[in-house]
Amino acid sequence: MAPHHAEERLRNFILRRLIYAIPTLIGISIITFAIVRLSPGDPIRLFTFGQRDITGEDIERLRHLYGLDKPLPLQYVDWLLAMVQLNFGRSFIYHQDALQLLLTRVPNTLQLAVVALALQLVIGVPLGVIAALKRGTWLDGAIRIFGVAGHALPAFWLGLVLIIVFAVALRWLPSQGMLTVGKDVWDLPDRLRHILLPAFVLSLTGIANYSRILRTETLDVLSQDFVRTAHAKGLHERTVVFVHALRNALIPVVTALGGILAALVGGALVVEQVFSWPGVGQFTFQAAIAKDYPVVQAATMFVSVLLVVSYLLRDIAYAIVDPRIKTG
Amino acid sequence: MTRKQRTVRVLIAVLAATMLVATACTPAGPITSPSSTPEASATAQIQQGGRIIEGTISDIATMQPVLSNDTASGRVIALIYDSLLIQDPKNGEPKARMATFSVSSDGLTYSFELNAKANWSDGKPVTGQDFLTAVQAVGKSAKTVRKSNYQDVQGFNEYCGPAGTGKCLATASSISGITLDSANPKKFSVKMTRVSCPAILDLNTIQPLPTQVYGKYLTATSKPEDLDTAPENASPTVFSGPFKFKEWRKGDQIILSRNDTYWQGAPNVDEYVYKVVANATAITNGLKTGELTFGSVPAKDLADMQTVDTVAIQKYQSLGYTFIGWNTLSPTAVGLADKRVRQALAYGIDMDAVIKAVVFGEATKNLAHHVAVQWAYPTTALEQYKYDKAKAQQLLKDAGWTPGPDGILVNAAGKKFSLTISTNSGNNERETLAQVAADQYKQLGIQAQARPEAFQGLVTKLTTGDQTLEATIIGWNLGGDVDPYSIWHSSNVPDPAKKVEGFGFTGFKDPAMDKAIEEGRNPTNGDCSTAARKKQYDTFNKILNENQPYNFGYSNNVLAVAQKTLQNFAPASYSTIYNVHQWWIKK
Repeated sequence: MAPHHAEERLRNFILRRLIYAIPTLIGISIITFAIVRLSPGDPIRLFTFGQRDITGEDIERLRHLYGLDKPLPLQYVDWLLAMVQLNFGRSFIYHQDALQLLLTRVPNTLQLAVVALALQLVIGVPLGVIAALKRGTWLDGAIRIFGVAGHALPAFWLGLVLIIVFAVALRWLPSQGMLTVGKDVWDLPDRLRHILLPAFVLSLTGIANYSRILRTETLDVLSQDFVRTAHAKGLHERTVVFVHALRNALIPVVTALGGILAALVGGALVVEQVFSWPGVGQFTFQAAIAKDYPVVQAATMFVSVLLVVSYLLRDIAYAIVDPRIKTG
Repeated sequence: MTRKQRTVRVLIAVLAATMLVATACTPAGPITSPSSTPEASATAQIQQGGRIIEGTISDIATMQPVLSNDTASGRVIALIYDSLLIQDPKNGEPKARMATFSVSSDGLTYSFELNAKANWSDGKPVTGQDFLTAVQAVGKSAKTVRKSNYQDVQGFNEYCGPAGTGKCLATASSISGITLDSANPKKFSVKMTRVSCPAILDLNTIQPLPTQVYGKYLTATSKPEDLDTAPENASPTVFSGPFKFKEWRKGDQIILSRNDTYWQGAPNVDEYVYKVVANATAITNGLKTGELTFGSVPAKDLADMQTVDTVAIQKYQSLGYTFIGWNTLSPTAVGLADKRVRQALAYGIDMDAVIKAVVFGEATKNLAHHVAVQWAYPTTALEQYKYDKAKAQQLLKDAGWTPGPDGILVNAAGKKFSLTISTNSGNNERETLAQVAADQYKQLGIQAQARPEAFQGLVTKLTTGDQTLEATIIGWNLGGDVDPYSIWHSSNVPDPAKKVEGFGFTGFKDPAMDKAIEEGRNPTNGDCSTAARKKQYDTFNKILNENQPYNFGYSNNVLAVAQKTLQNFAPASYSTIYNVHQWWIKK
């Protein structure tokens, strides 16, 4: 196959996937809108509940002001047209631009997700390799138990236990937030102390996954001919494992990275709640409780776009790394 | 086993043991000790500096008083803008704060004089014009829910907009009832269109706003959205309260710094941080670790908190109550229409035992609408509804409900007495209360069940008069004036057929009660004295106590926990921060 032909096929593949993303996002927008709007309750009645002397006219006035008195399909079209121009409306609660409010939280969640991702790789990969190299030993068993626990322990429970142990009892780490009150925002050691527990809890499932994948892949690679050849050539064990075997075993891990970051951002809700981490998840959760439609819709679309884009990147990575993936 | 493997195993064992010991042994400390009160620490040497960190579970929404409608925003606004008056922290009676006030003999005109020292942080004096600016802002805003607080001010409805909504006409460019004293800018008066006893606190709803900041949004050509989206709403620049706004890290914390020019004297502490955490557990943990200076904890955490020797706990009754509302118009639970049945449901539940089970004894049984910390709390004898199963059964029998072959009560028409008690899901306290109540009513032969559902949906059902609700557990906060009009006057009973909404979702109406409410609110003789109003509210509460449209449930204790280093901290039912400028941190 000529190189320029392969490039063209890849370009067409990316273009096609981008076009496919449009109906996907429209579908997500319809589902998001329907779920948010058809769930019971009304935001105006909610935030005026118990307000002394509030009248039916007041409620109607506010419903009209926020466009909630229009038929739902019309509200959806209004929202969609505005969204295309990146206008997600104003928060009912904060009276500020919903997207701007969301974007102020994004760096917080990204910090958490990136550190969690790093922990997944830094802990998960060596554990998988060690388990493969020490196959059948007590260490392999311990890593297996750790892996099962990583999947089985609910994040909210583990988070609370870690807070009780390391923050309340031992006072080694803070129990909540991103930064000690009064500390400079660039105080990195303080930030590190705050991010350790939530990032660990968020990364645990990933650590378990990576250690399992790496163990299987490493064992698979170690049994292949080129590794046996390397051994036969008299190469040092460490060189065989880290230069030859690990590099090949890591391919499925690297290609899976694209989807994982988006999954971490979307999945940080529980961890953010437990550790009072002011991220996208916690913000969206509070907005959902308050029926702050513009914020909930903006947040859902943001995470959806992130997922679609990251899956697209993953597919592209697959297509580049593994030519067997059909691009034509 | 190699030496290396042994070392790893020993390290793991040590770590595991450390975790076990750490979780098992929480530090034991003395049982609750009273916090240092102003009297107790008055003699101590006040120290300057330090930082107060209050734990809260909600971020603020705005720092614009006109738009504020939530507790968190209200707290921060009260720290940066002082109000004209203050409610007595213990009984709620209005008292002078930034202004003294008097009422004319006909009860229609309120005259105010602002304290000569009251000033803005930019050095300008707080004047009557700043009060007018606040009222004009309410009139101008499209998003405020406060317009009804000012509707009895002469000329307000003519000024406010948009026209055609509510009572707003938008035909005038000024509010005729507010008169500024041209000789003394600190003096102003407000004329009402009718005598309204809640008016004095209604006029205090919005703090005076700096005209030098908000005046530009209130010109003839400015639009409502100019004010509603003003950048100063989220980042205010001029202040009259003890603290100045410094930074809002959204979803995380609001940082306020000391206002050195505060008219009552600069606060002792340098900073006040309103720290947002995820839930009540996080507040408890933050108080234990010292990350928070003070906050409220739920009753379930009280015993745990009492083992922490670095904090002090203060208890006081909350300004509200949790109740079971009976839908007296229910087409399915028809028994609820009968007063005797509702009384039976009061005798048939052991509320004292419920309080122990649900809130660990940290509440006071409530018998009528007003709670004990309000001056309107009835002094006349009320039926106590002490647990009496036999009496409850007799009342049910008198009302025509007798046990069927399966033990379930049936009426003459053969209809079984079934009762679904709804409450908002996720509120553990109320869910437990619903379950305990259902269990106790089953003992009376009622087919009772608890049904948690989303609060958002429940609110719509209640205010629109959805008749599928039979009984509902929720709660009221009773801040501000004691006027119960919105909840109990018959005009606020929702009527789905006429699309009338309101908070009178029990459907209970009583002409004598209406009259008492009206006389307590807009007395025909113009007498708004506490004594005169209290007489009306005694009648009102007596009617409710007898008719039991609610089981009035209980009023929780607030459990305020503070680090022992915090001095002069003396929260009460009506306010926590009324003396915040006098708080100080013992180093």
